[in-house]
Amino acid sequence: MTTSLSHYLEDIRDNLRIDRSEEREVISELETHVEDKLQELKEAGLSEEEATETCLGLLGSAKLIARQIYEAHSQGSWRQALLASMPHLLFGILFVLNWWHHIGWLSITLTLILVTVIYGWVHGKPTWVFSWLGYSLLPVVVVGLLLPHLPKGWSLLAIPLYFPLALWWLFCIVVQTTRRDWLFSSLMLLPTPIIIGWFLTVAPDGRFTEYTLQRVYYFAPWIGLSFLILALTIAAFIRLRQRWLRIVLLIISGLLTLTMVAYYASGRLSLTTFVGLILVMWGLFLVPPLLDRWLRKGRRIFKRRISYRLPTRVAN
Amino acid sequence: MEPRRELIRGSANSLLLCLIGQQSMYGYQIIKELEKRSQGYFKFKEGTLYPALHRLEKAGLILGKWQLLSNSRPRRYYRITAKGHSKLAAERVHWQDFLHAMNLIF
Repeated sequence: MTTSLSHYLEDIRDNLRIDRSEEREVISELETHVEDKLQELKEAGLSEEEATETCLGLLGSAKLIARQIYEAHSQGSWRQALLASMPHLLFGILFVLNWWHHIGWLSITLTLILVTVIYGWVHGKPTWVFSWLGYSLLPVVVVGLLLPHLPKGWSLLAIPLYFPLALWWLFCIVVQTTRRDWLFSSLMLLPTPIIIGWFLTVAPDGRFTEYTLQRVYYFAPWIGLSFLILALTIAAFIRLRQRWLRIVLLIISGLLTLTMVAYYASGRLSLTTFVGLILVMWGLFLVPPLLDRWLRKGRRIFKRRISYRLPTRVAN
Repeated sequence: MEPRRELIRGSANSLLLCLIGQQSMYGYQIIKELEKRSQGYFKFKEGTLYPALHRLEKAGLILGKWQLLSNSRPRRYYRITAKGHSKLAAERVHWQDFLHAMNLIF
């Protein structure tokens, strides 16, 4: 197969954004088709170059094919929609029923999240696992919140170690998710500004006191409602086929939920904080596609360097 | 005469189901067979055949399976399912009714 056709298939692979196993099969199938077509054209008397050009013209736009295959594969079943929305549903129920302070229920929920994330990660990262993945960052956040409460000497030692490790862990998760599809990174990070918003509402000075707990009790139904909205958003996301619709859904859901947080916070969130949260939300939406672009560019340069080097190695 | 795009779009799934319903085929074979049997009238944009096949497979109307025949590359053969047969039978009736109605007007 010529370099142009290899790059064409690479373009399709780069834009597919489906499960790895399905991606391999799609590319193999297209590869076989291209080889059959090239053979036919060469047998008809065309040169390698002419056959390649004709073949590319007959195949059509790589991006269009990738988008159409993506739409054929992207829609999840209702079961997958339910699985994906489960973590938000669980937290929503915990807050709506005011069970969030029961160590038992909280432990069960966190254990379930951890087990599900590990299971999903090890079993090929299906679409539904990405909404669970964001919650795997919770222990990291909790550790960060507890560190200032350690005895002075320990916190001075632990904090400089914690931040690089936490950032490294966050970076790994985001990069791995973005490699699969940047939209899943955005999906995973969607609850972040909402959780920050509620955190600032109940603990504006960043400290947990008796008064903080009372505030959590007071706002619990609204916190639960925002998680339930997230659950509905995820379920709709899984069921939608078109990529642009998924993007619009995440943006609208994020904005609406943040607005709801600001409204029900009853003035405890200042306008500046609200605008800041909107900016955080946009930042979290923009980082994954930019990261995706950077990763793909790097991968493409690496692959092309390898393919250009090979003939030289063979000649040497 | 070049067929109208909207007519092709509307009939693509029926054509694919009909061909695959007669025998298991792989993608390249489907394109050649479609062109041959329609005497060149139906020419699929080759790349967009595969999204159509995948949509039919996701809908449960056909099933793809890799097969390696001797002296040949592994190919993904598609065969029609029971659900596909029912859908094809229904589509046949719709097309016959459509053609009958068109003939009455033309």
